[in-house]
Amino acid sequence: MTSAPPLRAGVAVLARAGATAVLLSVVVFAAVEVLPGDAAAARTGGRADAARLARLREATGLDDPLWQRWLSWAAGLLRGDWGTSLLTDRPVADLVLPRLAATAVLTGAALLVAVPLVLALAWLVGTARPGRSRVGGAVLTALAAVPQAVVVAVLVLVLAGLLRWLPAVSLLPPGVPPLRRPEVLVLPALALALPSAAWGGALLAGVVADACAAPHVRDARVRGMPPWRVHRDHVAPFVLAPAVRVLAAVAAGAVSSAALVETVFGYRGLGELLVGAVAGRDAPVVAVTGLLGGLVVVVGAAVADLVALAVTR
Amino acid sequence: MRHPLRRAATLTAAALTAAACSAGADSAAPEHTDVLRYAAVGAAATASNDPHGGLGNESDAMRFALVYDVLTVAGPDGRTAPRLAASWEPDESLTHWRVALREDARFTDGSAVDSGDVLFSLRRMADKAAENYGRMAMFDLGASRAVDEHTLELVTRAPFARVPEALQSATFVVPEGTTDFSSAPPGSGPYRIAGGDPAAVALERNDDWWGEPAPTGRVEISAIADPQARADAVLSGRADVAGSVSPTAAEQARGAGVQVVRRPGVTAYPVVMRTDRAPFDDPRVREAVKLAADRQQLLDTVFLGFGEIGNDLITPADPSSPDLPQRERDLDRARALLAEAGRGDGLSVELVTTTAYPGMDASATLLAQQLGEIGIDVSVRVEPQETYWTSVYAQSDFYVSYLGGIGFLDVSRIALRADSPTNETAWRRADWERDLDTALADPDPASSDRALGELQTRLRDEGGYLVWGTGDGLDLARPGVSDLPTGPGFARLFVDRVRVGA
Repeated sequence: MTSAPPLRAGVAVLARAGATAVLLSVVVFAAVEVLPGDAAAARTGGRADAARLARLREATGLDDPLWQRWLSWAAGLLRGDWGTSLLTDRPVADLVLPRLAATAVLTGAALLVAVPLVLALAWLVGTARPGRSRVGGAVLTALAAVPQAVVVAVLVLVLAGLLRWLPAVSLLPPGVPPLRRPEVLVLPALALALPSAAWGGALLAGVVADACAAPHVRDARVRGMPPWRVHRDHVAPFVLAPAVRVLAAVAAGAVSSAALVETVFGYRGLGELLVGAVAGRDAPVVAVTGLLGGLVVVVGAAVADLVALAVTR
Repeated sequence: MRHPLRRAATLTAAALTAAACSAGADSAAPEHTDVLRYAAVGAAATASNDPHGGLGNESDAMRFALVYDVLTVAGPDGRTAPRLAASWEPDESLTHWRVALREDARFTDGSAVDSGDVLFSLRRMADKAAENYGRMAMFDLGASRAVDEHTLELVTRAPFARVPEALQSATFVVPEGTTDFSSAPPGSGPYRIAGGDPAAVALERNDDWWGEPAPTGRVEISAIADPQARADAVLSGRADVAGSVSPTAAEQARGAGVQVVRRPGVTAYPVVMRTDRAPFDDPRVREAVKLAADRQQLLDTVFLGFGEIGNDLITPADPSSPDLPQRERDLDRARALLAEAGRGDGLSVELVTTTAYPGMDASATLLAQQLGEIGIDVSVRVEPQETYWTSVYAQSDFYVSYLGGIGFLDVSRIALRADSPTNETAWRRADWERDLDTALADPDPASSDRALGELQTRLRDEGGYLVWGTGDGLDLARPGVSDLPTGPGFARLFVDRVRVGA
């Protein structure tokens, strides 16, 4: 990759991201298909006879083959039409757009905590003396393995239950955007940020330790260069590309954990919508929501690749 | 070298905490008295503006009950009371009903509510029968007509004395010709929509409503799927009322200075035994199961005592439900019946259940233990709730069903006729159905109720339902909240008389 001209390599990265996005749209659309049952059955709650179900399937286009439904949905997306919910006949954009902002704010807040924390933990553990570094890494790995539900429970118990600093639910009055009540964001953002920060920190700490052990770094130290300059000039450049990759993965993790965290806190975001849409087999809503979440991963990976290209040039 | 980073981390944590502290402090004092914040059962994915569909989201149904007028409602005595329909009169044959509407009802867009709007709304419900369980099935709406601006003639498919009851609570009236339900059509009810979306809506009092003005100026309804999150919303002061919480949450709330509002007879987990397939095609096996259940233990475990033990009557809260001696546990008689049925050497069955409602799975596990005492070997299978209603409900031979407090009329239409789409116990009795039709055509409420009670007794003794108990609907409310509805069925949705004290 380093041998190709940077421009061509950059185009290749973007093309790969584009192809992944198209593939992703197929996967998210077909995902509902492999689950048992369909939206017509979910909408009628098992209480409609076969003839009525058949009429409902015909009216909502559920009769058409999968590829045909995907094609007309994808064509609609390109025209800016996100489709119509199979459960409620409401436009998918009406369901998704208000929640997109809410989830963006929540995951943004989570990253605001997670990104500095990943870097801080990585440096703390990566630059510690070998014995301490091993223990620190093990602790981080153990923390990263704690299930999200447990993290939520502990946070709620301590910060909402015992200390009473924060509300246990993130319920917003109708029409009030989350940024006007930032206190409702703290608990869910911490619940998203802490496990992924531990995971990212553990991963990046190794990279930092390796970079610190490189001969030219030791050399610089021996020459009496101040530690902050050693880190800025000799360690950071080598950590940058892996760090961006790890942070992209942390962002992806935050987005995918949002479903559970939003539901538990009663926060009106995309994750909560997705949970219900999957249960109701509402393919257009699942597909748009899944695609938006997947795009975060695809874009994050592409950015990481481009950064890697830029620094290894 | 590590100190700056450490300091930064400490500062970040301190800042977060400080922000949280101040924010938490100013929101902790809800001193309002003119806003009702209701955390209702509902999921964003199914939140709808269409009042004529399945009403699967309680948050939607509650909004419709406040924003739209309905023809009749359940009165305080359980009998039908007028609302948009001011009066009604059948002809001799009980097939043609004249319904007179109030003349002073207006939609929020200023237009008058007339018989065309009502007929349109009823026909739309009939068209959506697949979604609303055939709520209008007893009417021939094609033959029904508008007599004049404020009078309807409703035609029933058979002589039917209970038209006012059939028009109760869910007959939401929208303007004639409404086709676009992507946003909410205008209503003529006690409240109007002031903002938000179907999953979280703000309503304000409709000062042009014909009835007595609602005491609370603003109602905010939030759809929250997670029962514990609903309870937490009230416990942390973020909501005034939480609808339908679990018995566990209700127990916790009792110690936390929060009201627990009980709506009796709302939840039942009847155990379905299909009467057309072995081993439950033998009435002696069904009776043995009914005699072996320890109803008190089930009630105490599943509903934590919030409810009443059942007598195998399918709708014990219905006004027509008969008063019969309680069926007691009798293991000897149960074993004898099994032996008579040729199952004395043991019987193995599978009981299917799910986790859709709190305690459904526990009820199956416990019943399996209890049936073990008479030699029935029950294995319990737990199915995911997403597919339970389409792959187990009305199909398996032996499973835990669910009834959410609907009346006998609705249950009989949905589940007790030979051609009911979800005749889950395979109850096919021509004579029973004939007597049902006769009872429904009886204009005298007392003798009609008696006849319906008789039918419920036969179903109890011969049918395939074990109804071991009914759980209360459990709502949590902050201390100042009063006048929450406690009636059965859709009555819980009409929160337009609720007051919120400081």
